[in-house]
Amino acid sequence: MKSPPFKLFQPTSIDEAIEISKKFVQEQEDFDWIAGGTDLLPNYKWHLNTKPNVISLASIEELHRLDSEHIGAMVRLHDLAKSEFAHPIIRKAASSIASVLIRQSGTVGGNIALDTRCFWFNQAEEWRRSIEWCHKCDCGTSADCRVIPNQNELCVATYQADLAPSLLVLNAKIHLCGPEGSRTLFLSEFFELDGIKRNVLKQGEIITHLTLDNDISSWSGDYQKLSLRKSWDFPEAGVAVAWRLSDESNNENFELRIATTALESVPRLHQKLTSDALKNNSTIDEIASKLKKDVKPVNNTTFPPNYRKKMVEVLCKKALGGLKGVL
Amino acid sequence: MSKDKEIKGYRQQPGKIPFAKPGSGGREPFSKLRDLEMIPKSEGGYRAQPKGKNRHDHLLTGSTIGRRTPLVDSNWKVTGQAKYGDDIRLPNELIGRILRSPHHYARIRSIDTSEAESIKGVLAVETGQKHTDLFGVLPVTKDEHAMAVDKVRHVGDLVACVAAENESVALEALRKIKVDYEVLNPIIDMKKSLKDVEEPIHNRGKYHIGRSNVQKRVFQEFGNFESVKNPYVSSKSKWKYAGVNHGFTEPHAVVADWEPSGRLTLYTPQQVPHYVHRSLADVLKIPMHQINVHRTFVGGGFGGKSDPFPHEMCAAILARKTGRPVRITFDRDEVFYTNRGRHPSHIEMNLHADKEGRICGIETDALIDGGGFASFGHVTTYYNGVLHTAPYEIGSFHYTGARVWTNKPASGAMRGHGAVNSRCAVELGIDDICEQLEVDPITFRLANLLPPHSSTITGFRITSIGMRDCLEKVREACDWEQKFRKLPFGHGIGIGCGFFISGSGLPIHWDPNKFPHATVHLKIDMDGGVTIHTGAADIGQGSDTVVAQSVSEVLGLPIEMIRVKSRDSDTSPVDLGSYSSRVTFMNANAAISAAIKIRDELIKATADICNVEEKSLVIGDRRIYQKKDPAVGVSYLEALHKAQEERGALISSGAYRTPPMGGVHKGAAAGLAPAYSFSAYAAEVKVDAETGITEVVKVWAAHDCGRALNPLSVEGQIIGSCHMGLGQVLTEEMRYTKKGNLLNPNLLEYKIPTIHEMPEVVPIIVESNDPEGPFGAKEAGEGPLLPILPAVCNAVYDAIGIRTNELPITPDKLYKLIEKKVRSLKLDSPLNLPNPKLNYSKLQNTLEDRADNHKVRDQDRKLDPKREPYYNGTIFGKVSTIPPEEQDERWTLSVTPSEEYLANPRLAGSAWKHVEVRHMKRGDET
Repeated sequence: MKSPPFKLFQPTSIDEAIEISKKFVQEQEDFDWIAGGTDLLPNYKWHLNTKPNVISLASIEELHRLDSEHIGAMVRLHDLAKSEFAHPIIRKAASSIASVLIRQSGTVGGNIALDTRCFWFNQAEEWRRSIEWCHKCDCGTSADCRVIPNQNELCVATYQADLAPSLLVLNAKIHLCGPEGSRTLFLSEFFELDGIKRNVLKQGEIITHLTLDNDISSWSGDYQKLSLRKSWDFPEAGVAVAWRLSDESNNENFELRIATTALESVPRLHQKLTSDALKNNSTIDEIASKLKKDVKPVNNTTFPPNYRKKMVEVLCKKALGGLKGVL
Repeated sequence: MSKDKEIKGYRQQPGKIPFAKPGSGGREPFSKLRDLEMIPKSEGGYRAQPKGKNRHDHLLTGSTIGRRTPLVDSNWKVTGQAKYGDDIRLPNELIGRILRSPHHYARIRSIDTSEAESIKGVLAVETGQKHTDLFGVLPVTKDEHAMAVDKVRHVGDLVACVAAENESVALEALRKIKVDYEVLNPIIDMKKSLKDVEEPIHNRGKYHIGRSNVQKRVFQEFGNFESVKNPYVSSKSKWKYAGVNHGFTEPHAVVADWEPSGRLTLYTPQQVPHYVHRSLADVLKIPMHQINVHRTFVGGGFGGKSDPFPHEMCAAILARKTGRPVRITFDRDEVFYTNRGRHPSHIEMNLHADKEGRICGIETDALIDGGGFASFGHVTTYYNGVLHTAPYEIGSFHYTGARVWTNKPASGAMRGHGAVNSRCAVELGIDDICEQLEVDPITFRLANLLPPHSSTITGFRITSIGMRDCLEKVREACDWEQKFRKLPFGHGIGIGCGFFISGSGLPIHWDPNKFPHATVHLKIDMDGGVTIHTGAADIGQGSDTVVAQSVSEVLGLPIEMIRVKSRDSDTSPVDLGSYSSRVTFMNANAAISAAIKIRDELIKATADICNVEEKSLVIGDRRIYQKKDPAVGVSYLEALHKAQEERGALISSGAYRTPPMGGVHKGAAAGLAPAYSFSAYAAEVKVDAETGITEVVKVWAAHDCGRALNPLSVEGQIIGSCHMGLGQVLTEEMRYTKKGNLLNPNLLEYKIPTIHEMPEVVPIIVESNDPEGPFGAKEAGEGPLLPILPAVCNAVYDAIGIRTNELPITPDKLYKLIEKKVRSLKLDSPLNLPNPKLNYSKLQNTLEDRADNHKVRDQDRKLDPKREPYYNGTIFGKVSTIPPEEQDERWTLSVTPSEEYLANPRLAGSAWKHVEVRHMKRGDET
């Protein structure tokens, strides 16, 4: 198994990186960004959407910055998990990702922008030839989706990264930089419901960093994930919750956010669900049961979608365990 | 004999230490042992166990047997210097790659390789057309080609191979090979393979079974079936087992080198180099003496490297064509396409017990999915039945088994070959029966064991049996009385037992007749080091170490003075290979008999030097001396040099062949072994009823290995077996889509347990001292895997009251069962499920008494050399010394089904509805 050859670029500043990407965009040449490489390189070895050019972000110093409100895109997951600055929910999520070795190499930006996964897609070349390819990597055959056939529009590959929901419930902002300049948006606006497009990143654009509000220490919460093994495996379902009680005796100023991952093509903040729940004074069980109905997993990961859906309810209950007596 | 005379001929100053003898290593002849602190110790194995005598007792010198000995090849491995298949890099090598079928089942109309051949850097492209000779591991079922000749039989089947200057060019060439396929209707579901079809996957000519895809079928009926007709309690279950792969670390890799001498050397990590040797000769059409099979270090085999493989043939074919060395290394998905893992199975298991708490009947029906090729399947089909006729005394045994071809990668032999799945079903059935009888499952087992030196219902000869010790030690170690059915909800403990062959009694290739199973050559020259030539394949299990230990023990030498040459077929005597847990038993026995010959020569030489009787001499640590007066004697080297006079190096040869045994019915040889291993495990688990996630907390694992020649590696085997078995019971599964695509041919999605899932394992070694084993030893490589599966399943029942009948018990499957039960009991939450409880019935006391009596009986039989025969069935009131068929008129012994059975056969039994082509009446063939 060998990755096809590619040309590697190693810019040392964001400007230089954008300069290189801008050139590729203008010349309409294909390229990929590489951060930790723990996801991209295995995919390359399987000949999954390989590109002739790869730009590495590893040597850009300014992307490595980490403090309580600022998380650089190139911060290693291991450093985030061990960081004293990071919020406990983020630490918990980061330390649950894959294995120690992968966390030593994998980065925050790479995790946020992780390619979606599907068992018809994440396979060796010969294997995919035996199913005559699929929509996500059709090798020029305009093959159909193998999970839900006859809908050649959307890719339903699953977004299986751990960090996003924790950052979503802490209302993180994401900062992008590209040939057309920099922009900032809420992380909840970053993702796009399509397994191929995945997010709003434009050609040549990168994630530079994430920022958090300065009051996040007043938020408590939890992250719960489902996976078959405690190491290596991608999450099969993940629920992050965060809440803030300004006055413990009074529910009026109570704030609650819930986000899920690994269930659809995007991680999702369930805003309507939580606002309804607070309005109706729902119990933990009621919220969990509503959350179960709010997610729509498909059959393309290890566990069957039905089970993942039911487990969302259990995970949600566990994550909200700290609110027993409040809700 | 005085010391002066002894050293005559050497110059020596008075008062000085004598000069070192040639070859002795000077004044520091002692090698230092390595630090063993980090290796976990066995608990429970140290207590005195009444062993009785062994025929090898007089050979013990206290050198290495029974000591914790690091494997002799471990330093190569832990320092990264071991050369595995892919590490063989010969100058001027080419890279070989294989084109594989993208179709489940298709006929090849044509293959056009011209474009691929024209690529610069491509030296050879070969297809199956020129290499049509069949091969296979079993001579009765040769059905494989180097590459597909007419049909491809599964996705990943070999179609063509390419040798090129580098991998990129080879891959490019594969893309340019044009194959025109006529796609055929594949069969994925093994149940469908039982029926007649248009185009069976193989054609076995006159031996073909109807027009079906049944590769092998077995019918066995033993016993008196009266009691089964109206049993007191029964446990009936229908099991579904997923196929599992060995998941060894090293993917297959092979290097073929056609040397200037005109001979082929094949470097391959193989468990059975000898069978590869034979197959190469068949496929290449050259005599065996023109081939040298070199076994490299093997990065794990577990049965997955015990077939001669098509890619080995391809490498040799390409090397012959190009005249350059060719290396083929697999990607992990290719390993899964080659597979030979455990068969996916449907097993129906009915157990019956009578009022006295005796197992009056076992009725098993096993349908196993063989995939595209036969491999070891002929044997597997038998093993699924016959290997659960012990360790319990049973009233009757009914087995129907069938192995079918499907369009999937071939199943084959895997650690615990054929015995694992049906054993799991039996042990759960016993737990269920005990639940119904309201007795303790350990007591029940203890009251139903066969004694030592007995005969099973199908005629297997049991010699040593340590099952009782295993059960008792485990019961004590895990604090069973305080835990079983007493732990809180979600927390449980379970027991499971195992029984496995220690070396197959019948060699796979029994030609030429009366060939030994194992042969060992020894060579000692004046340096005193002993060279062992053996063909036994060390696949990490430590066979090199065992053979070195055996020789070192008999000759009284430290293990550092022994070197094992087991790699090349050119220099090694034939050994059948590392399968069926045969190596320690057979190869060590051969080594001992070779070492005895050297020992005799050394003793004779000493007797000559010292002028004493040979009989009065014994061997100690590098010294041969008189037993009654140890001062009289010579050093090992002196004796050796004396023995070498006029002839040079000492050489000797030893061999082992199993004694005649077993019945005469068809299939009597399957499962027959010179000894059997036994084991009992208890597992403690925690089950989260809300998610269905099972966590194994701790395992107590007692295994009867006869005698632990090397306790360190026995414990390693026990712990490793637990890991492997836990994979099958909890997470591992080769998942196929309905259309037959293997969803997880990679180690991310094929879920081998990680260190987080691995519980603490307490290995307990039980030594029953086998009368025929080398120094009393039996196997410890495969048997230890069996009991972990039922132990965990039974523990899950103890935890949440749910019996599974499908493996692996992944959380989603277990959760489905939990939900079903919650619904049927109309509960609000899984956490309110009832926790299983046990109140002993009166039978418990009866069983305890019987177990106590049997314990005395067993001990007596073990130590009494004049014991009478004991046949299975005695517990049911038969005379113990007469075979049951001779004293019971209603005793059935049948290996073909009756018309009556065929009117309403079970699932696998329905394979017998077909008529073999050779028995068809004229006109029936179409």
